[in-house]
Amino acid sequence: MLVLSRKINQAIMVGDDVRIVIVAVERDQVKVGIEAPRDIPVHRSEVYEEIQRANRLAAEAASQAPIGDVPAGAVSAPLGQARQRRAKIPPGERRKSP
Amino acid sequence: MEQVIVEPREERANVVVFPRFGECSYRDSEVLEFPWGLPGFGHLRKFVVLQVAGQDGFIWLQSLDDTNVALPLADPWSVFEDYDPHLPHYATAALGIEDPEDFVIMCVVVVTKEAKERTMNLLAPIVINLKTRTGRQVMLENSGYSARTPMPRRPSQAGGAGSSEGEAVSP
Repeated sequence: MLVLSRKINQAIMVGDDVRIVIVAVERDQVKVGIEAPRDIPVHRSEVYEEIQRANRLAAEAASQAPIGDVPAGAVSAPLGQARQRRAKIPPGERRKSP
Repeated sequence: MEQVIVEPREERANVVVFPRFGECSYRDSEVLEFPWGLPGFGHLRKFVVLQVAGQDGFIWLQSLDDTNVALPLADPWSVFEDYDPHLPHYATAALGIEDPEDFVIMCVVVVTKEAKERTMNLLAPIVINLKTRTGRQVMLENSGYSARTPMPRRPSQAGGAGSSEGEAVSP
């Protein structure tokens, strides 16, 4: 892991497109600003790790305990028959800049 | 004697044996690509969707890269009528989604032995662009949704930020 020391308002570039800025430093908390292209997800790592665990659990549980009986020969189900209108596509949003 | 003419455009079916489902067939056009894999399975890219007769409400996202991996998915609105995911921009941008008609959302389900746990991951739905056959799992951080939301037997409330908690009915 690369460890860099920064002061408030100093920044770090990750690749060409991601910029990380130290916005504020309080006693035991650091506020970090991230500027990144909108197609790059930015998340707290605990959230990401939680999703990893949940996916692995789902696959593991599925391999051990089928949901009801599983007859041999599942058929390929073309998606697209579900009619879902509830999720909205976000309007153009701007990431907050520090 | 009549000649049998095979449509030159007809797609041949691929036949594969999956550990869980036995022999299945699928067409190339039915394959889903997950360019970013899935959290926990970052190396898996190609999947097919399987439906098992008699298992209404669930479909299976079966990996072609590792046939041991199959995730059960369900339509969240079939269980949680008020599910209100606000998709982050990277979800639609990365998948090239412009129109609500273009995509579906499915959530990963955990069902353990004897259904001790029956939960749905509302925190990280899977978004699939139907036109391009690409998908991505996205995280609704700050939504208040849980990755392990207990599934009641009847459609219920999802319990996200600002709505009431759903009832969990013991199996």
